This record gives sequence, C-alpha cells and structure tokens, in this order.
Amino acid sequence: MKTDLDLVLERVVDVPPELVWAAWTKPEHLKKWFTPAPWTVTTCEIDLRPGGIFSTTMRSPEGQEFPNVGCYLEVLPQKRLVFTDTLLPGYRPAQNPFMTAIIAIEPHGSGTRYTATALHRDEAARKKHEEMGFHKGWGTALDQLVAHAKKM
Amino acid sequence: MRTHATPIDSVFRALSDPTRRDVLERLCKSPGSVSELAEPFDMALPSFVEHLKVLEGCGLVRSTKVGRVRTYRLVPKRLRVAEDWLSQQRVLWERRLDQLDSYLLELKGKHP
Repeated sequence: MKTDLDLVLERVVDVPPELVWAAWTKPEHLKKWFTPAPWTVTTCEIDLRPGGIFSTTMRSPEGQEFPNVGCYLEVLPQKRLVFTDTLLPGYRPAQNPFMTAIIAIEPHGSGTRYTATALHRDEAARKKHEEMGFHKGWGTALDQLVAHAKKM
Repeated sequence: MRTHATPIDSVFRALSDPTRRDVLERLCKSPGSVSELAEPFDMALPSFVEHLKVLEGCGLVRSTKVGRVRTYRLVPKRLRVAEDWLSQQRVLWERRLDQLDSYLLELKGKHP
C-alpha cells in the first residue's frame, strides 16, 4: 500500500456473495451502479477471463462520453476479481494507464464482506483523470471557489 | 452497510449544492450575518438556515453570535480537502459502493 496513491474500501452488505459477484461481473447489473450519479454508464463489455475485456463508457451529465478499456487479471468466482486499464484485452500494454482494482469477496455471517482496493499509478496519472472530467461533476463554481480559497 | 459518511465525504456533499456553493463564494469576500447571506436567495429563511447548518456541520464555515446576530465566516483550510486528488478518488469510490450496496439490496428484495 502506498498511502498517497492507493485506496482501500471495505463494506459489509446483507446479501449472499453470489449476488455481489454477479453485480461486479454482469454488464446489465454493473451499468446500474458503477458510475456515481448524475454520471451514467452507456455501454459495458465483459469477457470474464484473465486477459478478457472489461470496458465501460461513462457519460457526463452534459452528454460527453468517456470510454475506459482494460482487461481482467484474475477471475476467481465469488472470491476475487482483479482488473486494470494498464493492459488492454489480450494483455497489450495501454497508452495511459491509470489504475488497477482488486475486489476481494468473502462470506460474512448471512451476508458478504467485500474490499475494493484501488492502486493508482502516480501523480502523472491524475492528468488523465482530470481529462475524464470527473471533478467537473462538482461544477466550475467549485473550481473557482477552491482557487480563491488557496489565495486566502 | 456503511452508515457514517467520512469527513471528506461530508465536505463533498456540502459542496454538491449550488446554494451552498454560492454562500461559500460570497463568504470568500467577507464574513456575513444570516440575513445578509440570505438576502440574494429566494428561499424561506428556515430552509436557508439548514444550508448554513450543513456548511458548519462539515467545518467549511464557522459562526459566532453577538447579541441576536449570528455571523458566518469561511474556514479556507477545510475547503482544501476538495482539491486533493486522492480525496476525490475516495469520494468516487464511496459513491460507487453506496450505489452498489443499494442496488444489491434492491436485487435481493426482488429475488429473496
């Protein structure tokens, strides 16, 4: 873990592991939750095997679309899913890698505990993130505000 | 299910509302009383005061009361949380997983 680059989020949810696995690995499910509203997922392609495609197209509230293409590295049904945009389908190296995500799933009582770990490349990768415009979701007013507060 | 928002999350939630962003922008210029701050908004005072409470609750503003007048001022340090790149990533993931958990419970409800 690099504390300045990585995130670990752990959740316990009262549904069986099969359901958590399905939500992460079936496009019809993933499209429903993968992007924080008001962003949406317009397309999602999944070939669930190491080297298989994992791609999502995210659509901003303004209607701009941002494709993300990567592949799976590990697929252990109901236990562990690892995907990255560092490698394209078939393990071809990608132009602008940003992150690798590790999803670990285990039974917890009648429910499931899952941990999402996001490993980010470095500060340079944040450029790509900014191009994707996620922070624009907060509005330009906020950007101006932050810029102003820095001067105070 | 996670029930408590992280401190970073509370800042982003506070900033997600246009009225609250306008108030913060106004407070960049100088501190202001409740009535001064409320003046530009076409909104019932109790609703406006709720917005101020949200801002104060997450530490973006601080208020002091002298006599019957409560004055709000900006806490710039708190706002800097919002420009930190990793904090933004965390908020993205928190929201994503919030949506996942609600969706999972919805699915479970449909196929118990």
